[in-house]
Amino acid sequence: MSETFFSINDLVRRKLQTGIVVIGLALCVASTLFLLLLGDKVGFHILSTTGNILTPSFSDVFFNFIVFVGFLTFLISAVIIAFMVHIMMAQRIRDIGLMKAAGCPNDLVFGYFMNELVIVAFAGCLLGVFFGLVMDYVSTNLLINANSQPQSGAVDFWLALLTFLIYFVLSLIIGAKPVLDTAKIEPSKALSPAYIYGLAKESDFKGSARAGFVAKIAIRSLFRRKSATSRVILCLTVVFLLVTVTVAGGIIADQTTGNWVERAVGRDLVLVGHRDMCDRYQLLLSRFYQPGTIPDFNYTDTRYLIPDDLLNQINLMPNVTIDQRLVLEGRIHEVWGYTLDPKLGTTQIGDSREGESLVVGFEPQKTFSKWIVDGEPLGNEESDEAMIGDSLAQKMFSVPLLQNLSYSGQTLKVVGVCLDPINNGNITYIPLRTLQSIAGINKPNILLVRIDPSADRLQVLNAIKSKIKASSPDFELSELNQELDKAVGFLANIWSMIMLLPSSVSAAASLSLIGYVVLSVDEQRQEFGILRAIGTKPNTIVKIVSTQNFLVLLSSYAVGLCLGIIVTLLILIPEPLVTDYTIMEIAGWLVAVFVLIFVVALFPVLRFAKKPILEMMRRP
Amino acid sequence: MTGATSAQKTDVSQMDMSTPAIIAFDLCKLYRTEEGYVEVLKNVGFDVEKGGFTVICGASGAGKTTLLNIVGGIDRPTSGRIIVFGEDLGTRDEDFLATFRCNKIGFVFQSYNLVSTLTVAENVAFPMEWMRKPLKEVQERTRELLKLVGLDHRSGHFPHQLSGGEQQRVAFARALANDPPLLLVDEPTGNLDAKTSLRVIEIMRSFKNSAKTIVVATHDERILELADQKLVLEDGQLVDMNE
Repeated sequence: MSETFFSINDLVRRKLQTGIVVIGLALCVASTLFLLLLGDKVGFHILSTTGNILTPSFSDVFFNFIVFVGFLTFLISAVIIAFMVHIMMAQRIRDIGLMKAAGCPNDLVFGYFMNELVIVAFAGCLLGVFFGLVMDYVSTNLLINANSQPQSGAVDFWLALLTFLIYFVLSLIIGAKPVLDTAKIEPSKALSPAYIYGLAKESDFKGSARAGFVAKIAIRSLFRRKSATSRVILCLTVVFLLVTVTVAGGIIADQTTGNWVERAVGRDLVLVGHRDMCDRYQLLLSRFYQPGTIPDFNYTDTRYLIPDDLLNQINLMPNVTIDQRLVLEGRIHEVWGYTLDPKLGTTQIGDSREGESLVVGFEPQKTFSKWIVDGEPLGNEESDEAMIGDSLAQKMFSVPLLQNLSYSGQTLKVVGVCLDPINNGNITYIPLRTLQSIAGINKPNILLVRIDPSADRLQVLNAIKSKIKASSPDFELSELNQELDKAVGFLANIWSMIMLLPSSVSAAASLSLIGYVVLSVDEQRQEFGILRAIGTKPNTIVKIVSTQNFLVLLSSYAVGLCLGIIVTLLILIPEPLVTDYTIMEIAGWLVAVFVLIFVVALFPVLRFAKKPILEMMRRP
Repeated sequence: MTGATSAQKTDVSQMDMSTPAIIAFDLCKLYRTEEGYVEVLKNVGFDVEKGGFTVICGASGAGKTTLLNIVGGIDRPTSGRIIVFGEDLGTRDEDFLATFRCNKIGFVFQSYNLVSTLTVAENVAFPMEWMRKPLKEVQERTRELLKLVGLDHRSGHFPHQLSGGEQQRVAFARALANDPPLLLVDEPTGNLDAKTSLRVIEIMRSFKNSAKTIVVATHDERILELADQKLVLEDGQLVDMNE
């Protein structure tokens, strides 16, 4: 019999085991490929072309996530592949023993099973590339539909080829050792059940003597299969770490980043200004999620300034508060800063860069925006201070908080770097009075209006509209929530794409556990047969294996969950927003993943428990 | 063979001593192999009286173990009926059969078949635990049974720490745990040396005087001597002892 024919025949004969290994490997490859393609589109791409969409601070969160999740996915894949190959070989040790007992030389045995590994690795990697491309296609289309914007449809097939090759080679390297080890073992060992299932000797563990019958057998069997049990626990721990990071981290990051946007823009605000100015303001907001250039606009046109009578009338309205803003555009110059180094003395910081920026004057004490600020927010109505957006800070400043900026010949101290989606973070905030005196304009050109939630919103809006109509027909009122929701929705879509990962990794984890259950059932099949023959109901067998699965899952889940929460909150997300609802949502998802894996892993034992007793009792 | 084959269903609780413990009617068992079907049992019919000691003998491959498995409800006949204490086992579901085996049948397998993760005492006790017997009763009965088979000093050991003969004796103790009215024993001395076999035969002899119905599949002449009834299987068919 040729090596290839033997291998194909053997793989086909073990349909379930072969299927588990191939699909498990495919899911690992698919997860990695999907992550790389997603990273290419969302994370790395954004970082390399700052100013396109998302501000650096936002894309930093995605980047950190994608890099960490990518690292974990690769680690999991390596562990899962190693585990799958271990299971695959564990199920063949007896056959190898028989072949060797019959006189088959080592190299031929190695050839037979290495061939199987090559076939399985090739099929798994190929299927994985296909799954990965499908996942990428689906997620890209979801994003396009959600934002109604064109996205690059081109798939980087080199990345797919690279992933395929890496995993194929990795599988062969990881898999070769157990195959070689197994091929070398003595026939007597290979035929011994103790060796087949990785047991040095029968366990004398009696720690569960007081436990019930089901728990007793379950716990002792787990201890008996120390090698496979510890491997599956390690594998599932890393899986649950990833699931926790992606689920908990994804939800927290989604809410946190969404909250950053909401705090900067303001929720339930109404924009009052000239029709063109309102459109422009909304266009500036949309730059957070829509790439491309925007047409020139003359912010200093006097037509756009809010008439005094309108400002006064709105200001005097009950249940209404306003945030006046003067929105301009101008050239910002980086000004050298200095720092004191204990060894080098005074060191100069900065590079004299310059560039265009949106310049917004506002009243620091009255603003509705509550930015996330690195440094200090503006505190004084007329100070010579400025707060810049994170994109501008990254593009034009070396150490912004130690530097100044110059605008229209006026030098302003940079006191803070804020996260703001307007103009995608390419923005400079200056106290309103300071900006008015620099620009020589004494009126605002935008009003942000907040209506007291206790008031009848519709009635107040109509009152404002009528005042606008009476005062300046070219002015209008528009709600900001729509634009805000689009920005928040854009972030949510990216996070939801990242959330696809736990599903594929959970599926891979389920397959690992199924592989373990198959091995465990295979090992215990004769004992289960005995129990059934003596009077145990099929349910009891299911209970024993369920208890084992539960213990394995719980131990790996506890460790993975703790590590995942620590990594998420301490490393990946700065200033996380965690509410009671967030905790419940995360808990719900994590419990759902646990239950799903637990239920899916029951499949082999449910199948086994239905077998006739004599078939159970037959030695493998 | 004793008695006519009577396949009518009888309520266990209402049965009197004249009703046979086992009624086998026209049993056939086919196994499918790659080469086709193999007929292991061919129209086997017999009755076993309550309290009787029946021995099934025959050459290897004659169908003894298959017949014992069918009587014990572990296997199902391809056709025919097997009625044990009034229950038509071929028609009952797995859950019923499990409870029935636990309550009514003690099975001693040729290869002992102890649960390797349980100690000697636990192996004996677990059929009683399934019947939800009080813990104290379970402990007392376990002690009593282990004493009966001479293994009370090994109660905390695991099966792999026992010899073949000791494992066989534990298997007997486990079979008797729920005090079943029917004891099925498959080749009790097949894997044992002469000395250990004698001890097992002594145990069998002690059963003979109990009220239990005993069916033993064996080649062993010493056990054949204990038999009230002998069933000889040849190539899947019962042959008349007189022939």
